[in-house]
Amino acid sequence: MATPATSSIPTPTPSSLSNRISTSTDANPVAATTHQVLHSLQHQHQWTSLQIHEIDTKFSIPLISGIPPHRVYTHPDEQLYMVERGLREEDVELDRMFVLPTVQGQAWSLERMAAVFDALPEPAEENEAEAEVEEQTEASEAVDADKAAKLAEYYEYRAKARRTGEWGSKRLLLAVIDKGMGGDGTVVYYVVQEGTVKPRQN
Amino acid sequence: MADLDEDAINNSTTGGAHADIDLSDETQDFRMLNNLSFLDTANLSLPKRGEKDFEPNPTVFQADILSASRQAMHNALAYPRLHHPKNLLIGVYAPNGPAPPAISKSLDTVAEEAPAEKAAEKAAPVSIGAQVPADACVYVTKAKGPFFKSLGQADRWSRVWLLPEEALYLLERGTLDIRWPRCAVGDGDEDDIEDSGLPMSLQAAYACLMGRGGLTMERYSVFTGLRRLGYAVLRAPGWSESDEEKVSQAAAQSVARQGPGLAGIFSRFMGWLCDGAPTTAVGPVAGLGFHHSYDRIYRKLSLIPFYDPVTSASPSPQPRLPYAVVWHVYKPSTSFRKSAPPDPDFKIAVINARTTTIPTVSQIWTLLESTPLNPPRPNSQLYVRLKNGYRNVILAVVDQGVVSYLKIADAAFGKEKLYAQRPSGGNKNRGPPRHKFKKR
Amino acid sequence: MNSSPDLPIPISYIAGNYFVFSVDAATFLRREHHICGVLAGTLPQVPQQNVFTGLPLELMPEEARLLVEKGVGCIVDEVNFQKQGMKSLMEEDRKKYLKELESQGLESKQLQIRRKERLREEYLKKKNEKAAAKAKKAEEKQDTSAAPSGEDSVFLFDDRQPSTSPSHVSSRRSSVLGASDAMGITPAISHPLLPQQPPAEHHLPLPEVPSSYPLFAHLHSKGYFLSPGLRFGCQYMAYPGDPLRFHSHFLAVAAEWDEQLDLMTIISGGRLGTGVKKGFLIGGADKSRDDSGVAGSNVRAFSIEWAGM
Repeated sequence: MATPATSSIPTPTPSSLSNRISTSTDANPVAATTHQVLHSLQHQHQWTSLQIHEIDTKFSIPLISGIPPHRVYTHPDEQLYMVERGLREEDVELDRMFVLPTVQGQAWSLERMAAVFDALPEPAEENEAEAEVEEQTEASEAVDADKAAKLAEYYEYRAKARRTGEWGSKRLLLAVIDKGMGGDGTVVYYVVQEGTVKPRQN
Repeated sequence: MADLDEDAINNSTTGGAHADIDLSDETQDFRMLNNLSFLDTANLSLPKRGEKDFEPNPTVFQADILSASRQAMHNALAYPRLHHPKNLLIGVYAPNGPAPPAISKSLDTVAEEAPAEKAAEKAAPVSIGAQVPADACVYVTKAKGPFFKSLGQADRWSRVWLLPEEALYLLERGTLDIRWPRCAVGDGDEDDIEDSGLPMSLQAAYACLMGRGGLTMERYSVFTGLRRLGYAVLRAPGWSESDEEKVSQAAAQSVARQGPGLAGIFSRFMGWLCDGAPTTAVGPVAGLGFHHSYDRIYRKLSLIPFYDPVTSASPSPQPRLPYAVVWHVYKPSTSFRKSAPPDPDFKIAVINARTTTIPTVSQIWTLLESTPLNPPRPNSQLYVRLKNGYRNVILAVVDQGVVSYLKIADAAFGKEKLYAQRPSGGNKNRGPPRHKFKKR
Repeated sequence: MNSSPDLPIPISYIAGNYFVFSVDAATFLRREHHICGVLAGTLPQVPQQNVFTGLPLELMPEEARLLVEKGVGCIVDEVNFQKQGMKSLMEEDRKKYLKELESQGLESKQLQIRRKERLREEYLKKKNEKAAAKAKKAEEKQDTSAAPSGEDSVFLFDDRQPSTSPSHVSSRRSSVLGASDAMGITPAISHPLLPQQPPAEHHLPLPEVPSSYPLFAHLHSKGYFLSPGLRFGCQYMAYPGDPLRFHSHFLAVAAEWDEQLDLMTIISGGRLGTGVKKGFLIGGADKSRDDSGVAGSNVRAFSIEWAGM
């Protein structure tokens, strides 16, 4: 029943996503998934400083990291702490966040998820990187000494809370692409955290 | 945090806001029970949802409230089952099932000179009264009160025999005092089921009655849950696999009674004659010729055959447990005679969530086919008709004492000719309110 | 209520289910061991409703197993224990038991009479007070607040012991009561007719549990109260405190460590949880790690919420 292709119909221009995938030099078999999520983060959600990481486990799983335009997740206790000190989310430096790109129908298991979490940097390692950021902020916002002091107090407490797991421990963003039957390429995002982390109430 | 006074029930404002919340869904604060003025039947209404907290905090305040709630729960659970001497209802447990009373048994043997005493004893369940089920195991000598309208069956000696679920439910709600029979406490013969005078504890009653005659905890949870709400609940023919013959008989009856009938077949034939078989091989689908109405065109366009629940005639296989109807349920408003129960208002299959997987289509199919045809009222609204379906059954899925009810209906979308619907009386009566579906 | 029953608490195994019949045991398990079970019975004082249910307490096999592993409970073959226990009753024990029930029945009768008396007295008192207040109000023409309505309240669960009521009434009545006036009693448990601790021959081995048991044990060890979750679309509901007073935090589902998961499970679970302000929790035992004999100690679990983007 196939109708012969007529040469008169012009080939549509590839989408920017198609271009990205076809020009990528990524050799990973799931590279298309990774790039589609990266594309969604960059253009739909305005993330910046996006990077692709290849994590070293028995499974070959790529990870993306980047900085979101605004906070994606705040632990309920952290939120309470901030509210009590009059700190707003905008006052706090944005964190680099890890994103796990997956596609609907892909085989997953607890074992794989655990391997990904094991590969995430420990909270202590993150803190060193943040220490630099912290000083910068203090310098730039020195106008409001009171707020700066509160921020400093917050950063200090956060470092501790992350080590103890009080404000939740390791977390990542699970990105799932809808590519099944009739899938439209929508990407959905879920926050996944290690252990029992109480739910947000808003 | 609402305190007790705020949560007081019988408050005129409690009506609307909480109407769609099933309080039995979640553990409720037993302190609310203290406010339940259940003796005052005129004002009887459900307690308001107790306020709950998000998480524990180290305050004394919270600890005190929790402690008060637990105390209230403890008190409620410790409430004794007392029987006023004036209206004491006594039942006796008969571990070996229905049997004639001791006195009449000896009389019968003398008078009728039974051919073989032992044979007579074996056949006892049949001889004591046709209505008494073989699974009955508690008898009440002086049955009185409203409960026996829908519970138990009387024998020739006007003793009322109760099935295990009926007896256990009556004991549990503090209505019946079940006694150990003499044989169970080491008195008398093996089959001496006279009252020993020793009352059975709730614990003993569960040990003796649960698991008897196919009574599982799941089935019992459904039974008591519905009884507590006022429904009459009877065992259905599908109760045990050995009852299969009864099921097939019931099904055969229902087919004979409610099948399509000659008129149905005739109208189908007429329909076929008028419209003719649409041929799509040549020419347009709607056919050539004159079309005076859209209906005719739509009929021509309905090429895809659809399933009609009314005309499926082939006898279906027997439903197999657990996907078989085990309870027949009657609304409190249904006039009900236990000797000749009418068609049930609801048919329920009980499923143990822990041991059963999601049913296959054929299991659901067989289950639905085993129920009598119950077509929707033709003058009801479209969505009501679709929801009711032509057959329907309720699945009670029980997860460790927690029951969820799901209704399965054989909806006939193909029979609802949307094009034939005439908008009557403007928008108001046209179709159903849409939000009903949106909400879900 | 704060009494501690003798350990191990006998858990009745009847027709494949685990039950606790003693109110003290039920309260103790809830308070001290965060085991709630499901109240499966009818409350005799309010039998026509499903919001508040009563004993017996039906335990999940997981709960029964956990209690046995902790040495808090033991499983009893209740059917055989009852059968044999009742058969081998001594005549004297029976008589003694019946006597005891009778005196309890008489006591209940007296209590009931006293309660009626007290209600009547209080009602009359209130009535008089009201009348007096009304008269006063009429006199002063000022808004003296009327006595709060409380006369309809029920005293069944009142902490105030009836002994505080006028003693002369009860003593007068009790002398009139005979054995035929005693209330009949259906006891909740078979003790003291049968021994509280059934002999070892009626004990059963550890309950069989589903493969989700490690997750159950893990969450329980972290202080969560767990209940069956089917009604909410999961395996267990996990509460941060007693469900009497707290909302649940998690809809929990167990998986085998290497079990293939459809990502749709995670998404639908996350969506379901977020919709009711709860977290979706999925977890299982890491088989590569030893549980060193403690069920659930090698479990890893992940909390999932919709990211809102």
